[in-house]
Amino acid sequence: MEKVLEIKGITKKYKNGRGIWDINLDINKGDIFGFLGPNGAGKTTAMKIMTGMMKPDTGDVKIFEHSVIEQFEKAMKKVGCIIETAESYGYLSAYENLKLHSRFYKDIGEERIDEVLEFTGILKYKKEKVKNFSLGMKQRIGIAAAILSKPELVILDEPLNGLDVEGMIEMRKLIKHLSDTEKTTFFISSHLIHDVELTCNRIGIVYNGKLVSVDYTKNILMNYPSLENYFVSEVDKNGNV
Amino acid sequence: MEMFKGAFINEIDKMYRRKKVVVVVIISFLAIIIGQLFVFGLRSGWGLRTVSGFEFPGMVLSAFIETLLPLFATLIAIDIFSVEFNQNTLKILLVRPVSRLKLFTAKISAIGVFIMGILLLVMMLSILSGLLFNPESFTFLGLYRTVISYLVTFIPVMVFALIVVFLCNFVKSGTTVFFITIIMYIAFRGIGIVFPKYSSLFVTSMFNWYNLWIADKIHFLKLAREFLIMIGCAIMFFTAGFYLFDKKDL
Repeated sequence: MEKVLEIKGITKKYKNGRGIWDINLDINKGDIFGFLGPNGAGKTTAMKIMTGMMKPDTGDVKIFEHSVIEQFEKAMKKVGCIIETAESYGYLSAYENLKLHSRFYKDIGEERIDEVLEFTGILKYKKEKVKNFSLGMKQRIGIAAAILSKPELVILDEPLNGLDVEGMIEMRKLIKHLSDTEKTTFFISSHLIHDVELTCNRIGIVYNGKLVSVDYTKNILMNYPSLENYFVSEVDKNGNV
Repeated sequence: MEMFKGAFINEIDKMYRRKKVVVVVIISFLAIIIGQLFVFGLRSGWGLRTVSGFEFPGMVLSAFIETLLPLFATLIAIDIFSVEFNQNTLKILLVRPVSRLKLFTAKISAIGVFIMGILLLVMMLSILSGLLFNPESFTFLGLYRTVISYLVTFIPVMVFALIVVFLCNFVKSGTTVFFITIIMYIAFRGIGIVFPKYSSLFVTSMFNWYNLWIADKIHFLKLAREFLIMIGCAIMFFTAGFYLFDKKDL
């Protein structure tokens, strides 16, 4: 299997003693990987390191065989992401925000921008200033920006934040659609167990800054009645409920 | 180079769409009009001898370089760095396939374009205004001196902007950077007056180095010395600013 993402022993310790410790993980092409853990478990820290927003104390991350620390541009060339919150420039319109992103890639024209706006359901607001958008709409802009360049790997940190039920269902469909049609690999963090169960085909559980288990969803559901039971069991094994 | 180009166009685009740039242009325009009306009033009302048409752009520059230009450069640098840090919009760019060095250089280049743009705008407006109110004083030598003065003024203002950029990466809050810059500016000026021997070490005392370029006798050694001090400062503050920018965890 072709490795898309390799996380090798990353550790990051904050001044308050929290952080992540020795996380090792490989993500293969076509995976929809769910990074599951409670708030404060270290999901965002790991994702920030994966996308170069933060430097690890030790370890490295390779995306498409390029180190994020040493070959950042090459590593991020085929990556789209939302980390923590979907940010956009409030004084620009939805279209202008995406135009700004498009300048970092070749051959992304107006057609592609309209296409992703359509995908995310905000095409009719394309000329409106983002500062007037609701949280859910801003999240959609972030998702549109993440998939704009037709990335082969999409990293989404809590992508359902701010979305209503309809938005959540559409988002799930979008992920499935891109995975099926364009073989896009997804790395999705979430604290919503049910959503991860419905969306992801492989799951890693992170707890107290450590990756406690990784398995395929179908294996998990063969052995446990639900992902929630598996989660409780894995966390319990590591000394906490 | 493609990535730098994309980042640079983005910075110019964002700067253009912010209201601040429009305000800066309007203030510059008003300052020149008020200045010219003041000069015109003194001459026609009280019969005082004031500046001629081609002395007017020089007068505007000497007033501009001490007041509005450093202020504008400070505000734009804060907007491009501190505001982006604080509003969390910097991460929009940091997760794109562009290295931090290219992003930092693109931001600095955009500040450079802004400073040069304001200098050229003020130059053209003041030349036009001088010609309008006193057309008989036009000379090609005057025009040449005006153009040279405005062009070379770019260097000390850019160095000053690099110091502000360093501060923006050192201190998180834009308001704090603004006040530190004002205190620093006053301190540099004060030290320059109290200890004139050391004034050449401060970039603020080189704001009027354009006078060296348009003097009847050019002092090449002094010119070279001031130029090298400014370049040295620019390299130091660019490097220090980038070091902090690169180390920043978001």
